[in-house]
Amino acid sequence: MATASETTLVSAPAEGATKWWTRFLDPSERTLAVLLLLPAAFLLALIIVYPVGRLVWTSFQNLSLTSGLPATFAGLENYALMLDDPVFWETTWNTILITLITVPGALVVGMILALMANLPFETKWPTRLSLLIPWALPLSFAGLIFAWFFHSEYGVVNDVLRRLGFEGVIWFNSANWAFAAICLTIVWKTSSFMALIILAGLQTIPRSLYEAAEVDGAGRIRQFFEITLPLLKPAIVVALIFRTITALQTFDIPYTMTRGGPGTSTATLAMYIHQNTVDFLDLGYGSALAVVMFLLSMGVTVVYLRMIRAKG
Amino acid sequence: MTSDSPATRSIFSGRPLRILIGFILVVNGMFPALWILFTSLKTEAELTVKPITWLPHAPTIANYLRAFTDQPLLLFLFNSFMVAILSTALTLFISVLAAYAIARLQIRGRDLVLSAIIAVSTFPLVTLLVPLFEIMRALGLLNTWVALILPYTVLSLPVCTLILVSFFEGIPRDLENSAMIDGCTRIGALFKVVVPLSAPGVFTAGILAFVNAWDEFLLALSFNSSPTLRTLPVGITLYQGEFAFPWPVISAALVVGIVPVAILIVIFQERVVSGLTSGGIKG
Repeated sequence: MATASETTLVSAPAEGATKWWTRFLDPSERTLAVLLLLPAAFLLALIIVYPVGRLVWTSFQNLSLTSGLPATFAGLENYALMLDDPVFWETTWNTILITLITVPGALVVGMILALMANLPFETKWPTRLSLLIPWALPLSFAGLIFAWFFHSEYGVVNDVLRRLGFEGVIWFNSANWAFAAICLTIVWKTSSFMALIILAGLQTIPRSLYEAAEVDGAGRIRQFFEITLPLLKPAIVVALIFRTITALQTFDIPYTMTRGGPGTSTATLAMYIHQNTVDFLDLGYGSALAVVMFLLSMGVTVVYLRMIRAKG
Repeated sequence: MTSDSPATRSIFSGRPLRILIGFILVVNGMFPALWILFTSLKTEAELTVKPITWLPHAPTIANYLRAFTDQPLLLFLFNSFMVAILSTALTLFISVLAAYAIARLQIRGRDLVLSAIIAVSTFPLVTLLVPLFEIMRALGLLNTWVALILPYTVLSLPVCTLILVSFFEGIPRDLENSAMIDGCTRIGALFKVVVPLSAPGVFTAGILAFVNAWDEFLLALSFNSSPTLRTLPVGITLYQGEFAFPWPVISAALVVGIVPVAILIVIFQERVVSGLTSGGIKG
């Protein structure tokens, strides 16, 4: 960064005039960089780095605020408890299932929405807003809105089903239907973000590639799988990483739609962490659960990063 | 964003088909919000008619009045607004400084700093519920705006920093240098030259940070349970009683909650799309 103008600035003062305070007022590049990064570093230390250490530490403690007892070292007790806790296994399985269903679901629906929105519309704002509004809508609002959609008596979903000659479904009385309703809601809510990312990728693909393919006699379907999809891959992988990690943290939509019911059949790991922490004030057990979720999302990130590296 | 790109060109080149597809897109995106608007305008009596009505027959604003009187909706809005605005301001301030250091200054380990920022963006903040709860409790910050402002700032910091880095890199260095010849300090040049010239980027980052904060639910539910400090997403869940779900009133409250963000999105749609798709990384 020794640009011409800076050199003149530095050489301007008479020799020997650099006092300690001038260094403070006009710090060197490296000092300035450290100073500028300091607020971010401080915040990340307070909100991420220290809490991560604290989380691991607390997961090895007996620490329940309801008992009023000071924390005692518990070793692996919380983790052992977890292995025998059917609710832990159920909520973890639900979380994994939601991830396995809604991430590919959002990808497929998002791809379809993106291909549709990529058509040459005369006015662009209606389709653009149609993808932005679901993204901007709070997850908790989406949960409430769709709870009303799936209402067994007065919901619009059952109304449409009845008009089409089917029987209405009592969505929230059955574990499977409630789970399906939650997954549909999550796919609706998250697919528009996928679509925006894919759409941006679609618009960077040069037309000449398709023209060349046409000369070679490749049909539309083959063009999609041999040109469009491979070129979209980088954008899709990045979107998938973030979608998968947020899917593992699913909380808002099941909480607002079913509160985890019936029973705990639609509860997620995040809901179980929240319950143990905020309702039961069992911080030791809550921490051990959170460590599991942390490892799950670390695992996902590592797998995706390997995929990117392996295939270039 | 819907240019005539070859990927789907001429598969559906017919105009009627295009209009139909546009209609499907609009219904998919808008119907839930529209349906809530219709519900919010219906009377309790109309709501329990079977088969259900779609458009409200006798629109009423009674549900909106009840939304504001059954729960302190105005207070929820105020809390949400203040938390979102303050965390957006803090996010922008911190990420402008960090982005400038990354984009302009020669720092050793620039790549390391960037990878750290990307790593933070994939960090599952939910897992820190327990330690953050303990820290906020120890600092006496539970049931204050600060308990939410700090984590929300971290939530948006990576996206905002990445967006700003790419904008700062596009500003010619000569402009800063001439400002510094005119007697500006480096920090002065940053705020008087670089930031104003990057206004679209700062704006985009700000909107994303605002929406992130406006939407957050779990931390708000866990840290600010006191009735006077609830944010909108948390407050809206309180309209439902143990057995009663006053759907028209809930719908009215939802409409009130959707409007501010919807206005933001309508006005700045192009900017939001570019921000989401360039440095954008939140699903």
